[in-house]
Amino acid sequence: MTAQEVRLCGLLLQEHFGEVVAKVGTHLLKSGAQNLRTIIHETGISLDLVKKSLCVLVQHGTCVFSSGRKAPGSPTEYRTSCDRILRILRYPRYIYTAKTLYGDTGELIIEELLQRGDMTMSSTVKTVADRLTQNMEEGRSMDYSEVSSAFSKLVETHFLQRCPPMAGAGTKDSGTPATPATPAIPESFPDCYRVPHVTLIGRGKRRLSNEDGEDQRNAKKTKMDSETHGDEGIYWQVNFERFHLHFRDQAIISAVANKLDQTSSEIVRTMLRMSEVTTSPTATCTKPLSANEIFRSLPSSYNIPRPILDQYLTLLVDDPMEFVGKAGESGGGMYVVNLHKALANLARATLESVVQERFGSRSARIFRLLLRKRHLEQKQVEDFAMIPAKEAKDMLYTLLSQNLVQLQEIPKTPDYAPSRTFYLYTVNQLPTARMLLQNCYKTVANLIERRLFESKESKRLLEKSQRIEAILASLQASGAEPEQLTEVEEMITAPEKQQLEALRLHINKLDSAENQVDETIFLLESYVNSTATS
Amino acid sequence: MSIYLTRRDRLQGGPTLDPVTLWRYNVKARLRLEFCFHRVTGNTDVFEQQWAHEELLCRVTGGEIKELCQQFPHGITDQVIQNDMPHLEPQQRAMAINKLLSLGQLDLLRNSSGLLYRMKDMQSTSKMKGSDNQEKLVYQIIEDAGNKGIWSRDIRFKSNLPLTEINKILKNLESKKLIKAVKSVAASKKKVYMLYNLQPDRSVTGGAWYSDQDFESEFVEVLNQQCFKFLQSKAEAARDSKQSPMVQRNSSFATSHEVWKYICELGISKVDLSMDDIETILNTLIYDGKVEMTVIAAKEGTVGSVDGQMKLYRGVNPVIQPTGVVRTPCGLCPVFEDCHEGGEISPSNCIYMTEWLDF
Repeated sequence: MTAQEVRLCGLLLQEHFGEVVAKVGTHLLKSGAQNLRTIIHETGISLDLVKKSLCVLVQHGTCVFSSGRKAPGSPTEYRTSCDRILRILRYPRYIYTAKTLYGDTGELIIEELLQRGDMTMSSTVKTVADRLTQNMEEGRSMDYSEVSSAFSKLVETHFLQRCPPMAGAGTKDSGTPATPATPAIPESFPDCYRVPHVTLIGRGKRRLSNEDGEDQRNAKKTKMDSETHGDEGIYWQVNFERFHLHFRDQAIISAVANKLDQTSSEIVRTMLRMSEVTTSPTATCTKPLSANEIFRSLPSSYNIPRPILDQYLTLLVDDPMEFVGKAGESGGGMYVVNLHKALANLARATLESVVQERFGSRSARIFRLLLRKRHLEQKQVEDFAMIPAKEAKDMLYTLLSQNLVQLQEIPKTPDYAPSRTFYLYTVNQLPTARMLLQNCYKTVANLIERRLFESKESKRLLEKSQRIEAILASLQASGAEPEQLTEVEEMITAPEKQQLEALRLHINKLDSAENQVDETIFLLESYVNSTATS
Repeated sequence: MSIYLTRRDRLQGGPTLDPVTLWRYNVKARLRLEFCFHRVTGNTDVFEQQWAHEELLCRVTGGEIKELCQQFPHGITDQVIQNDMPHLEPQQRAMAINKLLSLGQLDLLRNSSGLLYRMKDMQSTSKMKGSDNQEKLVYQIIEDAGNKGIWSRDIRFKSNLPLTEINKILKNLESKKLIKAVKSVAASKKKVYMLYNLQPDRSVTGGAWYSDQDFESEFVEVLNQQCFKFLQSKAEAARDSKQSPMVQRNSSFATSHEVWKYICELGISKVDLSMDDIETILNTLIYDGKVEMTVIAAKEGTVGSVDGQMKLYRGVNPVIQPTGVVRTPCGLCPVFEDCHEGGEISPSNCIYMTEWLDF
């Protein structure tokens, strides 16, 4: 947990949950596990507020609590971790992915779940259906069953998972008064998220469709009915890991498409989809797939004949990026997707791209040269890269000062006399990637700060425009004259309008930049994590 | 003495020898005795002066070796001399060679099979006529340095002559067009000396990429771009050919020989570029991440193959677009490390950010 991470987490918490939660959160991040009393004492926030903010954090899975370490029965301690908080940064991407995969319904389901941390299926379905209905034309409404089928699809593809039952929290699943069948299921599968869903969904669906008749007409009213739906106590959350696997696969596929061509990327996509379920999230490569299997699973729309497929597979294996590897000869050749190697290659490409953009293509040449040749003396760098000595020296020293390149001394004599020492330049990919990751965190934090600053600068203007919009809306509702409306509209002057427009542009730009940086963060994070597990 | 001996023999009625023969034997014996003495004391020169009588009485073997050397202009080994002159004792042989070496008529070379003796060019010795020993010494040192050249300070160390003296000699030799000074690319102020008729080594001139010890980075860049263009157009043509993927890939490859021919035909280069030069250029493209290389086995005698290998190059596409972080000002910020909220440089007052937002 670095200072950059903590800073970014603080900003993210502040943005999503407000000042107090951010204060409690960063305090917990900085000082590790603490009990309630210490938190109150050290932050100087009132008991009530601290409790509430801890609730928020726990609700969103960013904070875990456990009984005290010192002795049994000592006060409960709370602990947060950066990883989970940093996910907030990726929320837009999760939502967007859900939208592309499962349409508006999927988008809203994920959005609701992300916003509330965890929810029961019935309430999620209800809220989503209500929201969808609200956006539809008058007289039409969204069927609950449609939403719940989308929900179950998300569960089937593991994008959603059940929250692990709270052990010491006193809210035992069995204790909830629910339909007779439910208690047994969570008990027998205490931490497995998937298996019980099928039965549960079946029932949940039936229940919901049952009440369709009476409930659909007043679906627009967003009142919570007190009726039970049979899934109380079973809360759902977004399975971030599954999303990350999806992102990783997408990254690999697009890299193949860039490097080779569309068809190869479709083959890799098919391979990844086939092994989606069978491969464990931390595996270095997918389970071997035979060429026959791949051929059968290829969507027929691609129209790739068998010999061509074999050729493509050979090409993919031959490619120096080694996205695809050959595992054996049986079944027309067994192929695997080298997930970790692909991540390492992508991370390397990211590093190269950073050097290229920041220090120019010649420095990138030196950087790549060192990546390929491992250890080189200065003279060798000049010769291989064909860069004049003076410039090469300059670039090497710049890279060295930025810690992108390391220097290894090998003395011939134990006195380290410069004249009798080899100075070898080298690039260490993993530490460099870590460093870059920290830089990314700082960048995002900077962007958020800037965004807050921008909106603070024109706070008055924003408030004014909001007020005017509110007035306009109320006037329209009460059926005011058009002249009145224009009069109110003119309260915002032209330069002010311009300023508002610029502000909107700025904020959009900063927002999209945050998402772009997050893509880099994701690649580097998964690379670093993959090296930790392999 | 020999006359007396013959007479005594005749008087005694014993077997007689003719006095000349006897004298010769006597002289021979005496010479050998003297020679051995002088050799032990280590001054054969004195012996030569005293006894050789300008090679009338005897000569120190050397002439024969010299002759032998002339027969073999590429040099002879110790073994050859031994075979040719079995009558010579090893020590005699060594001495003769030492003498020739000190006279500067013989060169001592070292090759893989051992030491090699070679006659000095009569030319160079003739050129050296009229120059003193010091000049000869300096000349020899420079000659030894070959086409790599030698720095005047190194000459000083090797010859133990004062620098002023050496400068004088160097100037002298230069005016005689025996040696020349070449500026090295490694250090622009460093002059190295080599024989006049030698072509300087690549390490001194830097090869095709240097003109007047300046690295022609523009030239390299242009070649780099041209090579890439060639490979890229080839790859594109292959992609458009709509053939099976294998054929497409294979036809996007170009051998280094093809690239070389293309560059030669373009005529961008004033100097003649070798295949190796082109390969170094292609290597820079690999380090640029724009080109891939594979080595395949080639039939002996195919154009462009070296040692039964052929290097194939092809242009490739980058794996990823510029990554997200460098699309923000922070990714390129020169003062990124110094940027803190509330500090002199902070995200709120960042001018790069402002420019970027207004863009």
